[in-house]
Amino acid sequence: MIIMQRVLWIFKGRRLALIGLFWLCLVAVVALIAPLLAPFDPFEINPIMRLSEPGIPYLFGTDHFGRDSFSRSVYGARMAIIIGLGSVSVALIVGGVVGMLSAYFNRLGHFLMRVVDVLMAFPALLLALVLMTLLERSVTNTIIVIGIVYATTTARILFGMTLKLKEEVFIDAAKCAGAGHGALLFRHILPNLISPILVQASFIFAFAQLQAAALDFLGLGLPPEIPSWGNMLSEERIYVTRAPWLLIFPGALIILSVFSMNLVGDVLRDKVDPRFKLDIKGI
Amino acid sequence: MISNSLLEVRNLHTHFTLGGWLDTKQVIRAVNGITFHINRGEVLSLVGESGCGKSTVGRTLTRLENATSGQVIFDGKDVLQMPASEFRILRRDIQMIFQDPYASLNPRLKIVTTLSEPLFCHKLVRSRSDAREKIADILERVGMDRNDMHRYPHEFSGGQRQRIAIARVMILAPRLVIADEAVSALDVSIQAQVLNLIKKLQQENGMALLFISHDLGVVRHISDRVAVMYQGNIVETGTKHQIFDEPNHSYTKLLLGSIPRIPMGIYS
Amino acid sequence: MPLLEVKNLNLSVLTGNDLLPVVRDVSFRVDENQTLGIVGESGCGKSLTSLAIMGLLGGTPISMTSGSIVFSGQELTSLTNKERRSIMGNQIAMIFQEPMTSLNPVYRVGDQIIESLRKHRQMTKTKAKKRAIELLDLVKIPEPENRVESYPHQLSGGQRQRVMIAMALACDPKLLIADEPTTALDVTVQDEVLALIRDLQQRLGTALILISHDLGVIANTCDYVAVMYRGKIVEAAPTADLFSNVNHPYTHGLLNSIPVIDRDIEWLKAIPGRVPTINEKLAGCAFNPRCNIAENICTTCDPEQITLHDDHYVRCHFAKRGTND
Repeated sequence: MIIMQRVLWIFKGRRLALIGLFWLCLVAVVALIAPLLAPFDPFEINPIMRLSEPGIPYLFGTDHFGRDSFSRSVYGARMAIIIGLGSVSVALIVGGVVGMLSAYFNRLGHFLMRVVDVLMAFPALLLALVLMTLLERSVTNTIIVIGIVYATTTARILFGMTLKLKEEVFIDAAKCAGAGHGALLFRHILPNLISPILVQASFIFAFAQLQAAALDFLGLGLPPEIPSWGNMLSEERIYVTRAPWLLIFPGALIILSVFSMNLVGDVLRDKVDPRFKLDIKGI
Repeated sequence: MISNSLLEVRNLHTHFTLGGWLDTKQVIRAVNGITFHINRGEVLSLVGESGCGKSTVGRTLTRLENATSGQVIFDGKDVLQMPASEFRILRRDIQMIFQDPYASLNPRLKIVTTLSEPLFCHKLVRSRSDAREKIADILERVGMDRNDMHRYPHEFSGGQRQRIAIARVMILAPRLVIADEAVSALDVSIQAQVLNLIKKLQQENGMALLFISHDLGVVRHISDRVAVMYQGNIVETGTKHQIFDEPNHSYTKLLLGSIPRIPMGIYS
Repeated sequence: MPLLEVKNLNLSVLTGNDLLPVVRDVSFRVDENQTLGIVGESGCGKSLTSLAIMGLLGGTPISMTSGSIVFSGQELTSLTNKERRSIMGNQIAMIFQEPMTSLNPVYRVGDQIIESLRKHRQMTKTKAKKRAIELLDLVKIPEPENRVESYPHQLSGGQRQRVMIAMALACDPKLLIADEPTTALDVTVQDEVLALIRDLQQRLGTALILISHDLGVIANTCDYVAVMYRGKIVEAAPTADLFSNVNHPYTHGLLNSIPVIDRDIEWLKAIPGRVPTINEKLAGCAFNPRCNIAENICTTCDPEQITLHDDHYVRCHFAKRGTND
């Protein structure tokens, strides 16, 4: 109950973002109870019913194998959450550690940030493609690759912020109080990075969806039989004129989720900071 | 040599190098060979205008900046030569109050966390309840409420924050406190309160105080001795009365002459 | 006829859904050739008052709820933005606290003066440049012919503030508003800049409103002083009269709080408590929680402005009794 109240307080006056949050919760719940919701087995092939129009019993229609598009969408939510959380974790842990340590220890930073620079010289998708071609198509590898792609930007952002924080007077004050490297990094610097990290997480979560969809679309992401929104787009793209709903539903799901995550991220950025007291009116 | 001096600074230089690698290097001599000492329990003010290097002196003494050359002897030990691990222990005795009370407290930490840090770092308490007891005591000594420890810095005004910053310093019962423009960011009416507080604590604890300031009125109020700095050097040192009533150096005279005076004669 | 007359100025800030008053019932006048000092601590509303006169509150959450500002017989609040802009910078000019941020770093200082001259005075380029050099000479910048070509970062803080003064004087304003003009400067430079302001003010006959937190600066520059506390003028008097005949306990406390350099004081008589934030609602006199002579009436009833004698005004229930210890 207290958590609910807190969430409502955070989202006070930001109705659109609240709808976004609601949507994300819905996706999460759907992902959790996917087996209960899906009326059909998402892998079950039924050639007789291929390319059925949306209706009863196939709410979103069926694809060219006759698999139920609604069931695949429901399981796709599961994939979306797994890919999102996984990539965010990889990106934040790798990028966070690299960025913070690079800024804190100058010499290490000179070396690590050059590596990051080189990786960032590649366009995100190209880097993901290169890494993916070296690895096998699997869920874990997709997560690792997307995570590493966004770890570079995370490292850059946290590097800059840590560098700035390091110059803050309260860091000097903490040093004078006797704090060592660990205390400075984890008690003084890290908590002040929470809001940029949260914002970054929300954007990575959103972009990971797009990136995963793009990789799936190019046939380099998840194995094709796995029900993900990206795979659904990729598999059915040639039927865009005959059965547009096969693209509209997963496409809409991707857009809604990405948009919602961005809205929620904005609110988090504004509210997580205890210094930020005045409410900004609007969404 | 047994002497009464707690801190001796001998020919201290702190230079900064701007640019480097591909740029032309430029050396800024922020502190350019200064020598002074502070006796036990004494208040020495370091006064000068912006850019004269007075803040750099304070930051060098606490090793927030690296000295280029010179000696800093605190209680017989050379502060600049000792390894970082040894200096961390010594930090307990050399504490610093910063100018901006809005910047010197970590905005994300409750007051209790900020004030616990020095206690735990120097292993002065055994438990959290021990720490709380000490924190409550010190908060009351600086004129705050003991329950204020459960609040965040942004809930306090500038003057209150500076009291908290002072509490963080005093909780260690240091032998030397360096106050770098500690009251300059405060409003006049609040400045007087904080200044009285620092003076009271200094007298009660008998600590030495290096008071760095540009404000001559404040300096006169708090100091025993005064050192006037100009462009990285100390141009004149003397007791408060020597500096304010019989200044020798032309720069000291210029400084004193520049203060806009309130016609107190008429007033009082 | 006064040059500027502000009457019952009320400003409020919009925070959330609340309209909180930040300047209340402020009235004062400035005559030609006169210097008015407004003194107070941070958040007392002194800078907002000057911004209101300049019409610079647009785009801020602060709005003028009532009051009138009459300049040379003209009601400023009823003018359109365009009409107001033609007065601003032309007949009323302003000097800000931080000379580095109020000068555009990418233009030469000369060009910035020339631009203002060409805009307000429709001067030709050569004429404007000649005038710019004259102005830099007027504010005692050495080698003005070369300095017009300098960029702001090539000047020292004191010189930048001199340039700001030159810019403000470019169009021979009748009124100059200086908001903490010397706060960012060192005392020795402050002394020079204040001397310059005093000198120019006497030579050119410009009226001046000097806003500062420093009573010393005010005492040495102004003919007339208004002391503000929490959005109100609590005491206003000719300078000599104010310091010889302090009436409001806040003015009294402020004077006692300042450590002076001429004599030793063991303990400063500080004003207790802290400056209230604008969110706090206080009944009665806003100063009552910190006042050493407050009685019941102070917590219930906000004192009206009392005229002690010519031009000495106080807002205190115990004004005539005096508060000297």
